[in-house]
Amino acid sequence: MSLPNQKPDLEDSINVTETHGRLAREAAACVREKRIAENGSEPISLWLIAACGLVLLIAGGILGGAGKLFNYGAVFQQGYVRTPPPGVAESGPQPKEALAAYMAKGARIYSVKCNGCHGPDAKGDGANFPSLVGSEWATGETDRLAMIILNGLVGPTSTGKTYGGAGGMAAQGAGLSPEDLAGIMTYVRNNFGNSTGDIVTVEMAKAAMEISAARAKVGQQVTAEELNAEHIKALPGEALDPKALVDPLTLAPVTAAPAAAAAP
Amino acid sequence: MSPITSTTHDQDALLRAGIDRSLRHPVMFFLTSGAFWLAVSIFLGVIASAKVHSPGFLSSCPLSTYGRVFPAHLNALVYGWGMQAAFAMIIWLMARLSRKECTMVGTILTAGHVWNLGVAIGVVGILLGHGTGMPWMEFPSFAWPVLLISYFAIVIGSFIQFRVRPEGHVYISQWYLLAAMLWFPWIYVTANTLLHCLPGHPVMAAGINAWFRSGMLFLFFTPVALGTAYYLAPKVTGRPVFSYSLAKLGFWSLAIIAPWAGMQKLAGAPIPYFLPYLGAAATALLFVPACAAAVNTLRTMLADRETLAASPSLRFTVAGIAGLLVLAVSAVILNLPGSSLRLTQFTLSGYGFEILALYGFFTLVMFGATYFVVPRVTRREWISRRLIKVHFLFSVYGIITVALVAIFGGLQQGMGQEDWQQPWESATAYAKPYSVAITFSWCLILFSNIFFFIHLLLMWLGLGRRSTHPTLLVHGHHPSSPHGAEGDIDNAGPGHAAVH
Repeated sequence: MSLPNQKPDLEDSINVTETHGRLAREAAACVREKRIAENGSEPISLWLIAACGLVLLIAGGILGGAGKLFNYGAVFQQGYVRTPPPGVAESGPQPKEALAAYMAKGARIYSVKCNGCHGPDAKGDGANFPSLVGSEWATGETDRLAMIILNGLVGPTSTGKTYGGAGGMAAQGAGLSPEDLAGIMTYVRNNFGNSTGDIVTVEMAKAAMEISAARAKVGQQVTAEELNAEHIKALPGEALDPKALVDPLTLAPVTAAPAAAAAP
Repeated sequence: MSPITSTTHDQDALLRAGIDRSLRHPVMFFLTSGAFWLAVSIFLGVIASAKVHSPGFLSSCPLSTYGRVFPAHLNALVYGWGMQAAFAMIIWLMARLSRKECTMVGTILTAGHVWNLGVAIGVVGILLGHGTGMPWMEFPSFAWPVLLISYFAIVIGSFIQFRVRPEGHVYISQWYLLAAMLWFPWIYVTANTLLHCLPGHPVMAAGINAWFRSGMLFLFFTPVALGTAYYLAPKVTGRPVFSYSLAKLGFWSLAIIAPWAGMQKLAGAPIPYFLPYLGAAATALLFVPACAAAVNTLRTMLADRETLAASPSLRFTVAGIAGLLVLAVSAVILNLPGSSLRLTQFTLSGYGFEILALYGFFTLVMFGATYFVVPRVTRREWISRRLIKVHFLFSVYGIITVALVAIFGGLQQGMGQEDWQQPWESATAYAKPYSVAITFSWCLILFSNIFFFIHLLLMWLGLGRRSTHPTLLVHGHHPSSPHGAEGDIDNAGPGHAAVH
């Protein structure tokens, strides 16, 4: 767009009409616009300063509530125990039948510790990892199975075949609680087509850990010779009725609690 | 008026008219397609809100389930309407304030089409079930680089215009707009690379996402709306901005405080303990920049009651700034960790706060600016006073209902949730009457925005009134009309148009 003639037109020159015509046609909105004036310098009112000061105080209070910067203790309460609301009986987790509770615990541990090698169907791969399905050592004496799980195994297995080369199976005992060990043994012995029908109790698992700690070659993987020489026996402890009720978290037996009354 | 000043005044008006004309298609493209997405978003919002009180509504089709419709609603609102309205105002205001015509119309229009395509694919992607599940970032993850590149193509011209501006004063609006233009890529790139390219711990990812949402509100939409309001207030009333030092306080406190806000959404989550408190304190402190800017612009605008009654731009802007004041107060009230913060985390309140910022403040200011800008870039006046009035009434009353009802209803809902002896269902029962009110108000807002879209489209097509006199909200031939008597182009002779 060319600028209009800058000569001040005082006469009846054509420019005046032309310019004003263009202004009216094209720039009417811009012509009636007001200019943005110089910035004002009115004083800031006291009540605004007071309101902002009040908010500053509140914000300081919020920040102060944070306590120490990494105050995890306020969020994660050590040893927290859920308390029932006043006037309501403690419901807590519902007791479950023992076999189902042990199996559920075992299934969780299996998926973390065993699944990677023995596979989701426990059939192994035939070359490096043996199958647990129908295995004599898996379904036989509980002491022998516990030693393998806790310490690992090197050399030939129950079928006489050696799996996994010179390394064998690594020990899985690190981080296992007696409840975990009991759960996983029960799970392997009653799943994947195995069905011994018995439960390896927490008490038996505790005993297994004691036996394992008292081995002559503690810290090394077990071998077929050692297993056959010392561990062909059942773990000590009272058998548990698969239908007995236990707490699904601690696996501790509950005395025939009135399950119906505890329901909300 | 001496002949010399008259000529400079006319020259200046022609320069501004030339700048406006050069931006006709970019500005109208962003505003019109933005208004379309606004209508789409509110339509989806109506469905999403209806599901809060009537879960069975439209539940047979996976396309229209809450988990898809609600994110589609918010993303269409943010990227479809909010960003595009902001683009229109950024390119127009930066060109005007830098006094440079736009020379990149082709680039801007191409990038604008790519942006719209990205938003369309994103919204359809969400509705088809490919959303990412991260609030405000639900578009399928290939969309964000597309949007980012088109963003730079759209605003690069405004950066250049600012760089080559005539020497002199940098106006308040330019501070805010330039800051928003720089802050948006910062938060957008940070959040998207951290969540899409370098995924870390998912809990921290939720924290980054909350920071991103707060950043979009307070580091992009707020400065754009404030820059626009600081332009409109003195421009329409012809009065100086109330206080320059208050403007400086408002800008710098926003720049310092806003980046810290956001993580209070994760109060109680296993992230470093101080982060939610820091976020809550920063959000409460946003009262200071919001209040400073609101008081400054309101004192400028309210001084001229006659213009306020007549000018749709001013009325919408005043309503938006009033929304900013409510936002500032609720930022303090909703972020007290001991009492209210926990009530806002999983309730309607969080939604109410975001809608208050996005619609009750930002969008109303954008409407005001739209009513100012469109007659200039199209060289036609708005067709119907009545449409503008209806738009104003429905928008303002509708959004007051949506935002306040959501905030207070959400607090009720939160109290229901906190009562851990009651089933969760009873908390939903607390929220039910409020959500019915929200659905109803969204329907009213949808109705007015469909007409707003049609009005804009007609203006873009050049079907506006050919007149030298603006469409004002008071009736014509009013003796006190600030723009003089009504008239049309044929009898407005030389000099008549240049009264003000």
